[in-house]
Amino acid sequence: MDDDLHSFLPLSPATLHILLSLAGEDLHGYGIMQEVVRQSAGTYKLGPGTLYDNLQKLIQREWVEELGRRAGDDDPRRRYYRLTLAGRRVLEAEIARLAEVVREARARLRIVRPSTAKPRRA
Amino acid sequence: MLRRIYRCVLRLHPPAFRSRFGDEILSIFDEAKGGLSGFRLLMDSILSLVRQWTLRPEFWSESVSAPAPQAALDDIPSFCILSPFRPRLTAIVPGLILSIAIFSLTCVAIKYSWIRVLHVRIREVQFEAPQWIPPNAGRAVFPDRTTESVPHDPAATSSVPNADAQTPEAASRAASKTSTPSALATKAHKNGAVQPLPIPQSTAQQSKGNEIAPSSLESEQTAAQPLITTAPSAFAEDTKLDAAARHRVIDGASVIVSKYYVDAEVAEKMVIALRDHEANGDDNEATDGPTFADLLTSQMREVSHDKYVAVIYSAFKTSEDTSAPTAEGVARYKKEMKQNNCTFDKAAILPHNIGYLKFNSFPDAAICGPTASAAMAKLNHADAIIFDLRDNPGGYANMVALIATYLVDRPTHLNDFYDRSQNSTEESWTLPPVPGNALADKPAFILTSSTTFSAAEGFSYDLKMLKRATLVGERTSGRGHMGAPHRIDDHFTIRVPSIKVINPISQTNWEGTGVEPDVKVKAADALRTAINLAEGNLQK
Repeated sequence: MDDDLHSFLPLSPATLHILLSLAGEDLHGYGIMQEVVRQSAGTYKLGPGTLYDNLQKLIQREWVEELGRRAGDDDPRRRYYRLTLAGRRVLEAEIARLAEVVREARARLRIVRPSTAKPRRA
Repeated sequence: MLRRIYRCVLRLHPPAFRSRFGDEILSIFDEAKGGLSGFRLLMDSILSLVRQWTLRPEFWSESVSAPAPQAALDDIPSFCILSPFRPRLTAIVPGLILSIAIFSLTCVAIKYSWIRVLHVRIREVQFEAPQWIPPNAGRAVFPDRTTESVPHDPAATSSVPNADAQTPEAASRAASKTSTPSALATKAHKNGAVQPLPIPQSTAQQSKGNEIAPSSLESEQTAAQPLITTAPSAFAEDTKLDAAARHRVIDGASVIVSKYYVDAEVAEKMVIALRDHEANGDDNEATDGPTFADLLTSQMREVSHDKYVAVIYSAFKTSEDTSAPTAEGVARYKKEMKQNNCTFDKAAILPHNIGYLKFNSFPDAAICGPTASAAMAKLNHADAIIFDLRDNPGGYANMVALIATYLVDRPTHLNDFYDRSQNSTEESWTLPPVPGNALADKPAFILTSSTTFSAAEGFSYDLKMLKRATLVGERTSGRGHMGAPHRIDDHFTIRVPSIKVINPISQTNWEGTGVEPDVKVKAADALRTAINLAEGNLQK
């Protein structure tokens, strides 16, 4: 199973952010978009097209499930989505991988200094 | 506005995606306008559109009802439509418009495409191919000088070749020579020949000369069929020729030759030759029609060196007047011309704005005048014009005059037709200038070949003499005489050139010699050469 999970890694930024935003609570599409902006401090903005394109894929992989509409919502068109167990495991695997990358990167950056002496030739 | 475009883009998504997420995406669009710019949202949806159609084929066929009925959190059941996808009624209209637009674009692309694979072309009917000119070349050449009115006027066609010179036709011909519009109009009206030509006087001015054996190209054809000499299978045994029968044929031929042949001296020589051969018993072996006809033909050609002259035998009885066109014949000719686009093969503007016109006969202007005018109008703004006569076996002198009209700025004398049997001369002129014509002072080129015949040679020769066109190609075939077949008896016909073209500038014609091109190149290279010349001209 773990092997299966790892075959999906690394996740695309959009997938990662969507899974991450759903990790805390169930959200509707717009909620996911806002959450993504918040998580990335505004550096990554997800358009609805990209969002649903990815959601479709994630639902098919059963990493995310659709909960349907909620009564009393502002907009009756909204549907809510929830991270499944499988989704959570993929996300965890990805985070672990990223942590490894970060750790490795930090180690390297301490040794190698950025070379700024010579300008690059065009 | 932007929302509308956005919705359109959403609608273009695969149906499964659209029905599942379309509403949500739109709701986000409505909500997010504050955060993200509308343009960015639009770009995002276009990107997703591309992704959906290119990278997600696995979802295309996903059932529209994919989101299974599921109780929402508050236990209110939500229902999904289970029926298969059907286009909305309102989607049909844009679909229709889109289909029409694509269809029109395709048509335009085919029409203006340089790739000629798709170019639809109606196969030409070779109604006057040089191959079968020999049986009746006399008429195929200039079937008549100016007789376009003839086919329309059954009364006029009844005038037979040997009609008296003092007939009303001759008188009216004299009247028409005055060339006053009113006289012409009267004459034209009399002939019932008024046609809605773009040049009002075209039919009128040319509707003279009914006394010439009237013939349309169509009547050529109908007349030619029974005249084919090589029909031995149809040759009945009981028509074996004896000396008396041969003598009658020779007598008949002699009378016709003496009367009609363009050159009186040569005519006499031919008659003497026929008599001498008969007296020497040279004809005794010829007991069947085709052999005898060929024999007489060769005897006459021996002394005249005129390939026009021919005795033609027909196994079928020829009618009293083979040259009069029948109403069906005229109708058939008209129909054929219509199907053929009047043999106007191509009218195109080549690179460097050089006009190119290829036409494969000079059809009757009374029928094909509008077609010719339309072709010339198409090329009106060309900087130079090329007439391709390489496959043109001739036709009507009125068409020669009509097309030449576009190259001159005033009525111009093209040539004279001398008719020996009448001892009369008729002038052929271009028509009054066509309003708006811009070609009168543009360089003109004529492509010729060894199979350029008769009226096509006349067109080339006249314009060469006027120094109005540069001839490029091969020397033409050399048929400057014309005439009609004359009936000797039920089976024998003799073709005698009786009319001679006389150019007012050279005082002669191209008979026998052909028209010499200004630039002599192989016919196959003529177009390229002419284009080079034209381009060189235009760069000066």
